[in-house]
Amino acid sequence: MDQTDGRQSAFSRLTPVIALTAALALLVAGVAMAWFLDRTYREQKIDEVSVQAAILATTVTAALSFADHQAGQEYVNALAVNPEVQVAAIYDAGGKPFVAFLRQPRDAIPDDPPRQPARFDGDGLTVTAPIVQGGATLGTVYLRTFTEPVVRRLERYGVIGLLVVMASLLVAVLGVAQAAQARANRELARQGEELAVANAALRAQIEQREKVEEALRQSQKMEAIGQLAGGIAHDFNNLLQVILGNLERLRGRTGDTERIADPRNLRLIESATRGADRAAALTKRLLAFSRRQTLAPTTVDVNRLVAGLSDLMLRTLGAAIKVETVLQGGVWQVSADENQLESALLNLAVNARDAMPNGGKLVIATSNVVLPESGANGQEEIAPGDYAQIAITDTGTGMTKDVLAKAFDPFFTTKDIGHGTGLGLSQVYGFVKQSGGHVRIISEPGQGTSVRLFLPRLHATAAVEPAATAGPLAMPLGSRHETILVVEDEDDVRMATGETLRELGYDVIEAPDGHVGLRRLEEMPGICLLFTDVGLPGGMNGVQLAEAARRRRPDLPVLFTTGYARDAFTSTPPLAGTADVLGKPFDHAALARRLREVLDGRKRETAAST
Amino acid sequence: MTRPRPPPILRRSVLRLAASLLLPAGAPVRAQDTALASAVKAAYIPKFVPFVAWPGEALYDPAGAVSICVVGADPFGDLLDRVIAGQTIAGHPIVVHRLRTVSRTSDCQILFAGGSADQPVADILAAVRGTPVLTMTDDAHDPQSRGIINFIISGNRVRFEIDQDAAAANGLSVSSKLLSLATRVLGRG
Repeated sequence: MDQTDGRQSAFSRLTPVIALTAALALLVAGVAMAWFLDRTYREQKIDEVSVQAAILATTVTAALSFADHQAGQEYVNALAVNPEVQVAAIYDAGGKPFVAFLRQPRDAIPDDPPRQPARFDGDGLTVTAPIVQGGATLGTVYLRTFTEPVVRRLERYGVIGLLVVMASLLVAVLGVAQAAQARANRELARQGEELAVANAALRAQIEQREKVEEALRQSQKMEAIGQLAGGIAHDFNNLLQVILGNLERLRGRTGDTERIADPRNLRLIESATRGADRAAALTKRLLAFSRRQTLAPTTVDVNRLVAGLSDLMLRTLGAAIKVETVLQGGVWQVSADENQLESALLNLAVNARDAMPNGGKLVIATSNVVLPESGANGQEEIAPGDYAQIAITDTGTGMTKDVLAKAFDPFFTTKDIGHGTGLGLSQVYGFVKQSGGHVRIISEPGQGTSVRLFLPRLHATAAVEPAATAGPLAMPLGSRHETILVVEDEDDVRMATGETLRELGYDVIEAPDGHVGLRRLEEMPGICLLFTDVGLPGGMNGVQLAEAARRRRPDLPVLFTTGYARDAFTSTPPLAGTADVLGKPFDHAALARRLREVLDGRKRETAAST
Repeated sequence: MTRPRPPPILRRSVLRLAASLLLPAGAPVRAQDTALASAVKAAYIPKFVPFVAWPGEALYDPAGAVSICVVGADPFGDLLDRVIAGQTIAGHPIVVHRLRTVSRTSDCQILFAGGSADQPVADILAAVRGTPVLTMTDDAHDPQSRGIINFIISGNRVRFEIDQDAAAANGLSVSSKLLSLATRVLGRG
């Protein structure tokens, strides 16, 4: 409120006082006026009656002098025409009554004439006048007249008073109205301020919403690019499967003819294979980008994974950030998707880097943790048990409580638009939760951030990690009595896969879609493994085929292959967690290994059950 | 006109009565009671003065007094003296002279013509005609012997007639108030 408003409000506060004062002044003026009018009226009345008395005094002299009562009586009776005259009397020089006129029988005259020339009493005016003739005082005239009663005079003044009161009321009402208006104005100003505040809040909300929409657009763009990339990668993987499979077969036949055994030809094959391998690595990155990697939980040695990542991190995070790994010996193995775990750790490392714009230190530590019974630590969601912990700690800016509370929310980001999707930490959270673990963030502003991933200890005996020991060249072979049903819609891929399997020593039956595959399965009871692509035409995909097949042959081992694996695939109940998947493109060794794993595992299970 | 004197006792009572009647004069005067009538007339005499205007200083004699001359028969005795005792006219004393005869130089302002053999009323009036003298007569019927003021008894009351021509002849003017009280106004139509 500025000075003008202050003056105005002071004025408006004074307004009722001014109005009241004015009304009071008007009332006082009215009373004074009434008093003045009354005084004027009395003076006028006295003058009037005195004149009459003087006239009477002048005319009655002779009658009085010569005691002519008849004449005197006529003189006083003449006053009867004036209705105001109540009593008229003449006193002689000795003060004795000479003649008198009495309007009413009950009227009376005093024994002696009063000395006062004029006197008001009640509703009457008494006037006396000396009777003088030729310098001699002959007597006194006594005249009493009715005056307008006080009540009637007051009534007359009442009209004036009414006007004055009305004027006063008008002034007062105007004053009150003015004050009310001033109050209303102040109220309006206050509402205006509130409106401004509300408007500011609304603007802030709009800005916030615009940010969210921008983030949403960003994520939708990423999603679209991801789908595009994923689709391309899928087709690429099928093509690469053909190329790599054929190149491997070509190399396997090096001994067959002289021409191919030419070392120059071998170099060409090696070169083509390297190119195809690089293409496969590219599609893998594309898939990683589009988050369509196969969710294949495997036994993971956390220490090994972290050690492998630290090199990549060193390169990714830049020279300003020092990366340190602290690995506890004998950290429990966990069951998780390696790719996703790597992606999660990379995400966290990138977040840490962004929190340290001026450089700092990033520590990745592994350890075993035994979490107590639920509730003991106040974290209701955490199941008790053994966990392998990966802690990523930075020396960055840290987070406030508010930011911390929303850190896992999808689309929540503190980064500028275009620099982050807001999905990093939520991905980490979703992945870890899916893996049966927990995430905990410890952070304070200026104190850095520590994100701890708890992954459940893997108790199974699967601690034997074939991949860790089996070299790429160790290719377990099949035998002729093992028949494998290959279902694949892409002819080239199916043929290449079939050729590869035959070279590995298996009998192969091929089918282009699920219906044919199912028929083959019924015709040939000797089939001991179903190797099927997940994406199949004809209304029955690989998963549905596997289910149908299992209904007929519950012990039939199934190995899936796919250019990419959707979440729906691995989370489908009958297969969740138990599905064996081989991602495309695969090489001969990987195929041979997975086939043996599945066949031998099934055999062990069958043997155990029988 | 000569009137018999009332006996002393009666005279005293009349005096008391007259004194009591002097100004209020409320009770009607019985005409038969000449003594009472005389007392009323005596009381009236100085009362005419305020209603009559004398020219210049003619109201006062050289001594500064107002002279009332009773010429010839005196019907008042000492009544007149009692009436004027203590009275003044505008501060001037009033004196009473009793004269046998009168002339133009008698220096009277008010003259009651009683008349006598030496100088009848008509002669008295003629003697002062033309001089500022207020002449009074008692119950005169002859115009020659009637003064400016002529006392009469009317309706059992002492009343008077006024002769305006006579007043004018003596240079006097009579107030209309006084005229209104007169039973008859003579002269000037």
